[in-house]
Amino acid sequence: MSIRIERRLSQPRWLSVAVPVCSLVVAFLLIAIVLLATGHDPLETYKDLFEAAFTAEGALSQTLVGATPLLFTGLAAAAAFRMNLFNIGGEGQLYFGAIGSSAAGLLLAGQSAPVLIAAMMIAGIATGAAWALIPGFLRAYLSTNEIITSLMLNYVAGLFLTYLIFDSSSYWRDTTSPSAAVFPVGKELPDAASWPTFGSSIVVPFGFLVGIVAAIGLWALYSRTRFGFEVQVMSDSPRAARYSGMRTRRKILAVMGLSGGLAGLGGASQVGDFLHTLDADPNGLRAYGYGYTGIVVAALARYNPFAVVLVAFLIGGLQNAGISLQGPDFPSGLVGVMQGMILFTTLGGELFVRYRVRIGRSHRGARPAEAAAEATR
Amino acid sequence: MEPTAQSQTVAPAGLRARPAIACRRITKRFPGVVANDRVDFEALEGEVHALLGENGAGKSTLSNIFTGLYRADEGELEVNGTPVAFDTPRDGIEAGIGMVHQHFRLVEPFTVAENVMLGDTSDLGRSFRLHPRAIEERVAELGERYGMAVDPRARIWQLSVGEQQRVEILKALYREARILILDEPTAVLTPQEATDLFGTLRAMADDGRTVIFISHKLHEVMAVSDRVTVLRDGRSVATVDTSASTRESLAALMVGRELNTYARPDDGREIGELLLEVDGLTAAGDRGTDAVHDVTLSVHAGEILGIAGVSGNGQRELAEAVTGLRPLTGGQIRVAGKAVHAGDPRAAIKAGVAHVPEDRLHTGVAPSLSISSNVVLKSYREDENSVGPFLRFRHIRDWAVELIRRYDVKAPGPSASARQLSGGNLQKVVLAREFSGHPRVLVIAAPTRGLDVGAIETVHAHLRDAAAAGVAILLISEDLDELMTLSDRIAVMYEGRIVGEVAAAHAVVEEIGLMMAGGGER
Amino acid sequence: MNDSILVLVVASGVAYGTPLLYAALGELLAERSGVLNLGVEGMMLVGAVMGFWGVQRIGGQGGMVLFLAVMAAALAGAAVALLFAFLVITLRANQIVSGLTLTIFAGAAGLSSYLGNDLGLADAPATHQFEPVDAFGLADFPVLGPILFEQTWLVYASWVLVAATALYLTRTRPGLNVRAVGESPQTADAVGISVTAYRYAHVVAGGALAGIGGACFSLALTPSWVDGLTGGAGWIAIALVIFAFWRPELCLVGAYFFGAFQALPFILQARGVTIAPELFQALPYVMTVVVLVIVSSGIAKRRLGAPGALGVPFVREER
Repeated sequence: MSIRIERRLSQPRWLSVAVPVCSLVVAFLLIAIVLLATGHDPLETYKDLFEAAFTAEGALSQTLVGATPLLFTGLAAAAAFRMNLFNIGGEGQLYFGAIGSSAAGLLLAGQSAPVLIAAMMIAGIATGAAWALIPGFLRAYLSTNEIITSLMLNYVAGLFLTYLIFDSSSYWRDTTSPSAAVFPVGKELPDAASWPTFGSSIVVPFGFLVGIVAAIGLWALYSRTRFGFEVQVMSDSPRAARYSGMRTRRKILAVMGLSGGLAGLGGASQVGDFLHTLDADPNGLRAYGYGYTGIVVAALARYNPFAVVLVAFLIGGLQNAGISLQGPDFPSGLVGVMQGMILFTTLGGELFVRYRVRIGRSHRGARPAEAAAEATR
Repeated sequence: MEPTAQSQTVAPAGLRARPAIACRRITKRFPGVVANDRVDFEALEGEVHALLGENGAGKSTLSNIFTGLYRADEGELEVNGTPVAFDTPRDGIEAGIGMVHQHFRLVEPFTVAENVMLGDTSDLGRSFRLHPRAIEERVAELGERYGMAVDPRARIWQLSVGEQQRVEILKALYREARILILDEPTAVLTPQEATDLFGTLRAMADDGRTVIFISHKLHEVMAVSDRVTVLRDGRSVATVDTSASTRESLAALMVGRELNTYARPDDGREIGELLLEVDGLTAAGDRGTDAVHDVTLSVHAGEILGIAGVSGNGQRELAEAVTGLRPLTGGQIRVAGKAVHAGDPRAAIKAGVAHVPEDRLHTGVAPSLSISSNVVLKSYREDENSVGPFLRFRHIRDWAVELIRRYDVKAPGPSASARQLSGGNLQKVVLAREFSGHPRVLVIAAPTRGLDVGAIETVHAHLRDAAAAGVAILLISEDLDELMTLSDRIAVMYEGRIVGEVAAAHAVVEEIGLMMAGGGER
Repeated sequence: MNDSILVLVVASGVAYGTPLLYAALGELLAERSGVLNLGVEGMMLVGAVMGFWGVQRIGGQGGMVLFLAVMAAALAGAAVALLFAFLVITLRANQIVSGLTLTIFAGAAGLSSYLGNDLGLADAPATHQFEPVDAFGLADFPVLGPILFEQTWLVYASWVLVAATALYLTRTRPGLNVRAVGESPQTADAVGISVTAYRYAHVVAGGALAGIGGACFSLALTPSWVDGLTGGAGWIAIALVIFAFWRPELCLVGAYFFGAFQALPFILQARGVTIAPELFQALPYVMTVVVLVIVSSGIAKRRLGAPGALGVPFVREER
């Protein structure tokens, strides 16, 4: 008796939808079991979560606040992972985006809002991209695996951020206001640098809209342009890419830069939409882990930019619910558990999309196609 | 076709006459091909027995049956007079049969001793603690005995290829192999290393072991073996004493055919200007040593130059060098008189060199992408296929549909992935793409490997049409029939050099076979 | 003299480095078998919380309780690792994404927090904790005293573990086999070694060790339970394995090095020396990147490099 796993030749459309849906169902079932086992009512909990995320007063707006950064880091991860570049540095690239954009906002104080906002976005993209180009360069030209390098640079970025506010008198640090004497804090950005919001009952941050535009842009880039075509070929078969004359190294740099730029834009959005200062508080920006959660978002969305928007929204809702429901009654840590479960089942389900599992008797002799090729050699 | 020499089993004088391994009427079929067809074979204790044949003759299949990797469909196998049936390679090892493959199975960062220890099923092997000292001693002892000195403490990556091969042999000897099968062992060795190897094989045979030596190189077969069995098209053609043979007689057995009138339609093709010049080309192989030595060729418009040779003699590296996939260490490539920048696929493509690679599925196409995508793999930047940064999908798709029709590709549609296509249809897609670029030169390797008869016909027709339209074609193939049918001239590659060139119309197959097997050298 | 900065730093380095060492040894075992486990942080946290639970809830004599608590931590880490192993070995999921998921699932906003809350562990001081012992009475020995002879049992056990791991890998048959699995699974498979079994075993063992590493926090360093107690130590452990060129002995050196650099700024601060602590804290990460670049370059790759098949799922060739 053997279990053989064979690559599917073609992937039926319905499978790509059915499997994620099934995975989701399985995930919710498993979570329900965990809840029951620890003395909570699953249906109550799910209902509470849903309400706190979407239907309660002001819930939707809060969800969008949480979803916005995830949208950017999710797109950043999707952009890179699509080409088998495992950029785990979204977290650090987001920090640098925040650093760059807050600098722009402070330097250009006195300019009009459109100028400031544009400058912040550009600065955020540029600094995030630059930070991503370090692991990108190391990968493209020195064959150094980008996973660990980008991860390590997250820590360096976090430490740099801390340094700017806590242990130096940098440009970003507020040295004048009274509260600054008590606890180190960053300078407030000018009012004109606050990014606008839209709507009253449901407040949509400007960043979220920018994110949607970015998602459309990324989709167009990857599926409609020559750039995207090259990415497709390179990720499918590096040998075929080389054979057709494509320039792999430059593409690696470009994609890493793109990914870092998107994460950096997320950092700019944090500063412009919500924080209005450079936040180095250990319980603030550095604790949310937007970069890492973004990878989860991208994986759940199977690296499709539009799906990233949807998943970012859902996960944002989940996290929002987790925060607002926190209390003696509501199991804290449930959010992480749920996210993890959903992703586990999704990842596991991937197997069934890409491979066909055959359980049968093992038989002797080589597999036909290879054998025919062997025999005629 | 009847064999031209009778099979004989004459025991060489002075050696014990017991067959160490023997098989009768071994037949092995794969879909579409009979790899071994009622093969009888026998190797005696104490002899070095060569297994000679072209590609596809069935040598590898037979040896895989001996070692237990494959199971024969029909026939019997005997080891030391006892019938055996192997289920797994382990059984083969336990019966005392060891094999040294062309691609070594060694763990590079490990030492020699560690590699020998791996998978050791003896008592020593079952203990929890390692006993490197004991292993090292045994390895040193075996090495001494057979003239294969290797430092048991050396790490594999520190060793030369020849030394690595010794480790493979030592592994087999350590497992007490009485019958040793070596598959094209000198393919990766320098002449000096090959000579050392022959000494080792001789020593092992003198010790009472049996050595089966698979090769296509005549001078080696003549140098080291006691007897030779020649396989052709899956059948055993003859078994002869080496001392009673010459290179010519062996070559004739290897490739001998009835006088074949090769269908060569007189298409009145005109040979035009000189399009491809390969001038003193030297290129390094994957292992660092040169795989192509000082090759000079020229192909004119409308001409098909065939490159004959057993695979592994530098043809692949030559094709890669000419198409920019491999850098040159010497020489130059010129297309229509202009030098082409070497080592850059894009430059070659720009110069008008099309390439249909040996490995269609993994190099020639992006397997998971659609036919549409693959059809514009090289031309997606052109004006007709893109507008600014954007691709013109409708146009590309229409073009794919057109090509599918024109080349009669059996596919569900242009969005079907390349992976789904059968070998023949995949090759048609690759050809369609390459020709649509209006190339001046086409380099095509193993064009009909694994294809059925109908697909072969089609591919040949396309090649003839291309030549008629003025393309200069460099055709690399292991299939002599194919070369004889299509080429205007045939050059033979052996050990990285061109050892002869003949006009196909006047070519004698046996002569080519001789050159392919190194017989052209004196 | 035993009060000098140097001695303090090294002694703290040993103390702070010990959780890193456990986790790194565990990760080393997993990576040697070819599996890259990025979920170490999550496993450490789960181990930390369950170890603390053990200490609070298991009754009995102090030493016994602590021992059982450590076992509980190891089991918890192993259980989470088993889940990860199933995903990446049997289901062939992407190792990177799976590892990250694990950290989120089990980490600071996940299972460990869930358990910590549900089991009512927060805000209560530890009932028992590992105290430094005075080994052989040499705690006051100049220089070496505080460093070598005044550490907790967890530290001493870790030294034994380093030696055991080193011997295991180089001198035993299973150790040889696992190295083969990590370097060239096809070759190992061809000689009859079960790649799957070895990978499962080593990933789970790695999880157990990570769990113990987590317990070092909750049972020795900061004896309490707080969400996210380990503060990123799991990530450092991953870097540490590379920094140590995948050798257990070097893990020891590296762990204390990293530990010292974490502790150094605070010791300096206490002495009134004001150098930005971030500089020191960033150094280990930067050095890891440098090491990785060296290790990936052609020259050093063979001598010092990563296990050949690290991160690649194993699919057996059809025979």
